[in-house]
Amino acid sequence: MSKVVLKDVEKVYPNGFKAVHGINLEVEDGEFMVLVGPSGCAKSTTLRMIAGLEEISGGTISIGDKAVNDIPPKDREIAMVFQNYALYPHMTVYENMGFSLKMKKTPKNITDEKVREAAKILDIEDLLDRKPKELSGGQRQRVAVGRAIVRAPKVFLFDEPLSNLDAKLRVHMRVQLSQLHQRLKSTMIYVTHDQVEAMTMGDRICVMNLGKIMQVDTPLNVYQYPANKFVAGFIGSPPMNFMEGEVIEINNDIKIKIKEVKLKLPLDKSRNLKNYVGKKIWFGIRPEDINIGNSNEENSIKGKIEVIEFMGNEAFIYSKIGNDQFISRTDFLGAKDLKNGSECFFSINMDKCHIFDYDSGKNISLWLKN
Amino acid sequence: MKGEKKNKTRILILAIFLAIIFILPFYIVLTNSFKTQKGIFLNVTDLPFGQFFTLDNYIEAFKELDFVHSFLNSLLITVFSTVLIVIFSSMAAWMLVRTKSKLSSFLYFLFAAAILIPFQSVMLPLINLMGKIGFLNRSGLIFMYVGFGASLSIMLYHGFIKSIPVELEEAATIDGCNKFQVFWYIIFPMLKPITVTVSILNAMWIWNDFLLPQLVINRPESHTIPLKMFYFFGQHSKQWHLALAGLVIGMIPIIIFYILAQKHIIKGVTKGSIK
Repeated sequence: MSKVVLKDVEKVYPNGFKAVHGINLEVEDGEFMVLVGPSGCAKSTTLRMIAGLEEISGGTISIGDKAVNDIPPKDREIAMVFQNYALYPHMTVYENMGFSLKMKKTPKNITDEKVREAAKILDIEDLLDRKPKELSGGQRQRVAVGRAIVRAPKVFLFDEPLSNLDAKLRVHMRVQLSQLHQRLKSTMIYVTHDQVEAMTMGDRICVMNLGKIMQVDTPLNVYQYPANKFVAGFIGSPPMNFMEGEVIEINNDIKIKIKEVKLKLPLDKSRNLKNYVGKKIWFGIRPEDINIGNSNEENSIKGKIEVIEFMGNEAFIYSKIGNDQFISRTDFLGAKDLKNGSECFFSINMDKCHIFDYDSGKNISLWLKN
Repeated sequence: MKGEKKNKTRILILAIFLAIIFILPFYIVLTNSFKTQKGIFLNVTDLPFGQFFTLDNYIEAFKELDFVHSFLNSLLITVFSTVLIVIFSSMAAWMLVRTKSKLSSFLYFLFAAAILIPFQSVMLPLINLMGKIGFLNRSGLIFMYVGFGASLSIMLYHGFIKSIPVELEEAATIDGCNKFQVFWYIIFPMLKPITVTVSILNAMWIWNDFLLPQLVINRPESHTIPLKMFYFFGQHSKQWHLALAGLVIGMIPIIIFYILAQKHIIKGVTKGSIK
């Protein structure tokens, strides 16, 4: 049983700065949980608190069924892979991987067996006699993971382990880590600021900002049903478009007024918005939910194309409506005849739009999720 | 291209000139150590040939210096002092780097400031104090060397340790090390290049030091090589031929140590530990 539970966990630094604001999180046994958020959102601090490298100022952290607040890192049955690998430079790969067992005074034959087994899993058997300086970035990363495997921990902790690798290697290692999780079926907590890693690797994602948890859900749910404006803007590339608007009611229909355009909301989205009539809101729509349309279509907005980025199979169109810039995503054929500087109509798929409270940023159009 | 070649020639001439200046004292010591006293006074720059060449200086100096004893005294004092300086300075510097507090900054500046205090200004009160607590012996001398050597050594270690990523220590903590084991298994081996530098600097200074042992060591059987060497310089006569032979004998161990140690000063020991 290697469930990790964070209950009302706080971190306040001696200078009074509160880095973590009473977060609650449950990571199930064998789950791959990704902590994602922008720099300074306290995701690494949270991971370090789980590891025991950072003292917690309040709350409880449990691993398995045991509160570990006062247990030193070595006794928490965790292993951590650091962003910069943190391999011991004066030791060989073999010594690096077997170091934790040496500290436990494990018999040499068992250490040897475990090190070679981990090396086999990661395909680094031929590197065991080398020093870290003789390895490439990807190989060092695998050694760091191998060092964690040898410990046979209850929980693996990864602190942005792929951020120092080049793009191609990162994709390769991403797949390897996912395969490793499937193979070991251990609980893994993975910190990253890269939303692609979060979306592709995690069983669930925990989106953090300013020391608070914004949303915990499966990658697909976080993408499709963001709990608030922050999550909506953070997850997705290109990001969700936001425009200031107002909720209005015309003939019992709830509509969103943006500039002079009135967009009609589908029934399911408008249920929660009765109380918002006359109030300002944020209107959010993902780039793929905006299509090139024409003037007589319902729910279309006129905009001026500023830049078109052709990505090969698709194109990103950067346009302006008044002073607001927004991005739409279309396939290559849909964009090839468009010109920079020209005006055109963009049709909004209102079934996919999101409405956020103007002040709190909460997604108020998620009636199904509420 | 022509200008570059000219520049290179100038640098080469300057280098040769400087090399001569540095080598000249060694040349004088070495050549004159093989001459009779008369030979030295007749021409100090000549090579030791003919009637003035002798090996007796070395045999006599070896006896006069009571070389085995004085060598062991010097060795004992130098080795113990250097080892203690290395251990305490590296540990102190590590804690000063890793402890972020006003006290640690203050202590660091205190160590740094200690370098500026000339030995002569503290010499008499120190000897007075050490005499009162019965520490005017070899142990007291080692204790004082550790104190005098620590400040520069801590500064050197401090700068080096700052470049070691703290994640290595955290990884070791997770791997099961306590504080002492983190230092001993992870940090200390990584300090090898700077430890060699610190050892060379301190060993050479302590091996050659005359003033502090002169003030501290009273018993002749505890005298170091530089102290014994002083016997060659009487009030009325100076036995240069023996003194120079003694100097050569005294220099050999520390030169051997330097040659053996300096090849271990390798750059970039942390290479490969992080990205």
